Amino acid sequence: MKVRAQIAMVLNLDKCIGCHTCSVTCKRVWTSRKGVEYAWFNNVETKPGTGFPRDWENQKRWKGGWVRDAKGNLTPAMGGKAKVLSRIFANPDMPEIDDYYEPFDYDYGKLQDSPERKAVPTARPHSAITGERMEKIEGGPNWEDDLGGEFAKRAEDANFQGIEKEIYSQFENTFMMHLPRLCEHCLNPTCVAVCPSGAIYKREEDGIVLIDQDKCRGWRMCVSGCPYKKIYYNWQTGKSEKCIMCYPRVEAGMPTLCAESCVGRIRYMGVMLYDADRIKEAAATEQEKDLYEAQLGIFLDPFDESVIEAARKEGIPESWLEAARNSPVYKMAVEWKIALPLHPEYRTLPMIWYIPPLSPIQAAWENGQIEDGDSIPDVRSLRIPIKYLANLFTSGSEEPVALALERMLAMRVYMRGLTVDKTTNTAVLAKVGLTEKLVKLMYRYLAIASYEDRFVIPASHREYANSMLASLEPGGGCPLSGGGCSLSGQKSGQQEPKLVQITFNGKKK
Amino acid sequence: MIDSLLFVALPYLAIFVGVFGSIYRMRTAPMTYSSLSSQFLESKGLMWGSLPWHIGITVILLAHVIAFLAPGFWQSLVSHQAVLQAVESIGLGLSILCLLGLIILGLRRLTSAKLQAVTSVMDLVVILLLLLQVGLGTAIAVHCKWGSAWCSGTTTPYLWSLVTFQPDVSHVSDLPLLVKAHIVGAWLFILVIPFSRLVHMFAVPVEYLFRPPQNVVWTNPRKFSADNQHFVREEARRHFMRAFAGIAFGGFLLSIGTFRNVFSFFFGPRLGREEETELMELRLSRLESTVGQRKLELERQASNYILVGKLAELSPANGKYFIDFKMQPAIAFKGKDELPLLISAKCTHLGCTVGNQVDQQGRILCPCHVSYFDIVSGEPNAEAPAKAPLPHLGWVIMDDGGKVLARRDAGGKTTGAVDPKLRETACVYISKDQEGKA
Repeated sequence: MKVRAQIAMVLNLDKCIGCHTCSVTCKRVWTSRKGVEYAWFNNVETKPGTGFPRDWENQKRWKGGWVRDAKGNLTPAMGGKAKVLSRIFANPDMPEIDDYYEPFDYDYGKLQDSPERKAVPTARPHSAITGERMEKIEGGPNWEDDLGGEFAKRAEDANFQGIEKEIYSQFENTFMMHLPRLCEHCLNPTCVAVCPSGAIYKREEDGIVLIDQDKCRGWRMCVSGCPYKKIYYNWQTGKSEKCIMCYPRVEAGMPTLCAESCVGRIRYMGVMLYDADRIKEAAATEQEKDLYEAQLGIFLDPFDESVIEAARKEGIPESWLEAARNSPVYKMAVEWKIALPLHPEYRTLPMIWYIPPLSPIQAAWENGQIEDGDSIPDVRSLRIPIKYLANLFTSGSEEPVALALERMLAMRVYMRGLTVDKTTNTAVLAKVGLTEKLVKLMYRYLAIASYEDRFVIPASHREYANSMLASLEPGGGCPLSGGGCSLSGQKSGQQEPKLVQITFNGKKK
Repeated sequence: MIDSLLFVALPYLAIFVGVFGSIYRMRTAPMTYSSLSSQFLESKGLMWGSLPWHIGITVILLAHVIAFLAPGFWQSLVSHQAVLQAVESIGLGLSILCLLGLIILGLRRLTSAKLQAVTSVMDLVVILLLLLQVGLGTAIAVHCKWGSAWCSGTTTPYLWSLVTFQPDVSHVSDLPLLVKAHIVGAWLFILVIPFSRLVHMFAVPVEYLFRPPQNVVWTNPRKFSADNQHFVREEARRHFMRAFAGIAFGGFLLSIGTFRNVFSFFFGPRLGREEETELMELRLSRLESTVGQRKLELERQASNYILVGKLAELSPANGKYFIDFKMQPAIAFKGKDELPLLISAKCTHLGCTVGNQVDQQGRILCPCHVSYFDIVSGEPNAEAPAKAPLPHLGWVIMDDGGKVLARRDAGGKTTGAVDPKLRETACVYISKDQEGKA
């Protein structure tokens, strides 16, 4: 057993309202530069839809992620090392700018400087790449926002696989959900494996995946290697860039910008312990449907004495072990099993997990089942087809999705009974394998969602911080261009890291 | 002149700038050490341009390098008619492929507005230079056929002469203009490498084939201190290797010259037996004459008197040369008093031997810078570059029996006289004791 720690995230899609605040805060801080105008380390997609970049889930086209051969070996879907190298002159699997969108801005100056005239002045769009006027804008980061566009296009969504999708084109049956996406900081990242220069690396102490900008030679294999299309090619510098999980903030014990700014309080961040020796085994699980369970299997119980002992041996500090025991991610993913990974069939073992959204239960409502109160309705009659969610989160396996949805519903039914009807409906809890104590805790985390419960991020220890600074020297490097590396200037080993005071709602933390 | 500029100065400049410029850029701006890919902005054209270009140029460059590095192997390869024909036609095909690729790449840059946003002037210079270079190469393949064969007598020795620091332009100076232009183009190409996207040639990620798929970096303190040790050791090792490489390279350069001598000593052309005998004879005769000369000198220095000549033989107009005890030339004349007149023949200007013919005014001439010396006084003429007079020497006249009849010391004082009866047989000498006094 080789214990490693990872900062992971859970997004409660049941509460996501698709406001894009996460995307905008992220954009303002990390990608408001030339060359990455089009890049969104965090973006919010409306599902069903083809997403951003368009059709990113179609791995037949982009060859992202891993494939398992008959012998049980994993190779990147792009091909082995020789094949990857043979494509450095022209990579046929790489998306182009038009698969994202041509970045644009408006001539706002025209509105201010226009002389008085009969016609209202207009601000017309121009390309941020060429500076030329754009007659028609063909795409954007959230082009299908709130079901924008026609169903035929939306229906190209890969998650409709195995679903009779035609009925969802009717207004009465249509459904939608929001899916915020960022780098998954995978345990078995394909981007790292296909990088010819060896510039991409995973930090072992917190699992954050970064690109060393000095080492990156712009071979752009990672762009196609990443099945989530979360690596962006900076056309100005010729380097790839990606979500850095706001590591300067995380090192200081603060949540990422997208999590901090989320108005729906849907994001949770915490430490997960896992067994690094079993990554390969889990990622090479034969049946795609079993991949979710396989990944759950390599997470380690932070309360287990033998795990704690092994973790100490690996040099994981006590504060991280403590954080792992209080981790909201561990509770939701492992204990309650309400959080699920995104597309585990890519075999990268992603670490950004999602609580599937509930949706109106048409039939149940009509039958008065909800009013009934002592049992929960069939999750298969939810408006969002369960098969769709299963394609999204569990490689088509419906049981885990159903269990998660049932537990969420049971919590609602129980808490409604408790607060409205003043009854304690324990029968509904027993059906889904929950206890009163557990469901109250779930309620606290999911409904109240206080700052302290959502973000349990251990600050880098003093000795940790030192080594992180030093790590910028030989092994690490600058993960971002354009002033991302101010730390490298102050590498005095003895300095006490400054305490960061976090205030939230006027309350000092 | 223009040849040595283009084929000696330019290559050394280009190689120096190319090598050190690339290293400098790698060390100071590692982030820029690649080719700015434009596939993201335009993919289709890139595929049709970049693929043929890179495939073609890789094979062609490889052939150039092999022909240069292993000329013997290359020669033996292309000496077969079929192979030569195959090499030539494949080369021509690939160079046309390269040309097509380059043209597509160039057109693509010129026509796409998006690409112009990432195109620098240097990019266009590189494309033009490559277009020119590959165009010349193709023209050579067509007009100066069998280049893969004739290169081993022309360009290969030229390149080797550059490498061994004995640049020899004569290998290429008579080549057709096409080939010369191709060579100059190659040096220009190397010259612009560090200033352009061409540095990506040195960034080919070969190490990718040997590294593990995942790359996990520990920055935890305990692991880190261990890792740090590793880096310290690595750094020290690198320094050592660098110093070693530097010294080895210097030694290599020094020894190239030595090697040639050693090599030709052991493996150089041998003499036949006859030639060897001749050579030995020549050496022997030289040695003999040297030995004779040495003996004479020793003998002369050991004896008290040196014979100048018979008194009767001396003439007033035509001096007789002899060598004195200091091994310097001198001339003997017959003076007006019928006694010998001995004067040094070493010009007081720069030490030439003065002539022995006395002119109308009783002077002898030093032919080097035209100094006339009066034989009686020894004084040079007024215009002569020599300013000091030629000194006179003392002499002794002895008869057959060795009896001194008369003598004159260096000061010019004469004692004794010569009996006219003995005049025929008496001989003139210079004597050591006089020499010592003078």
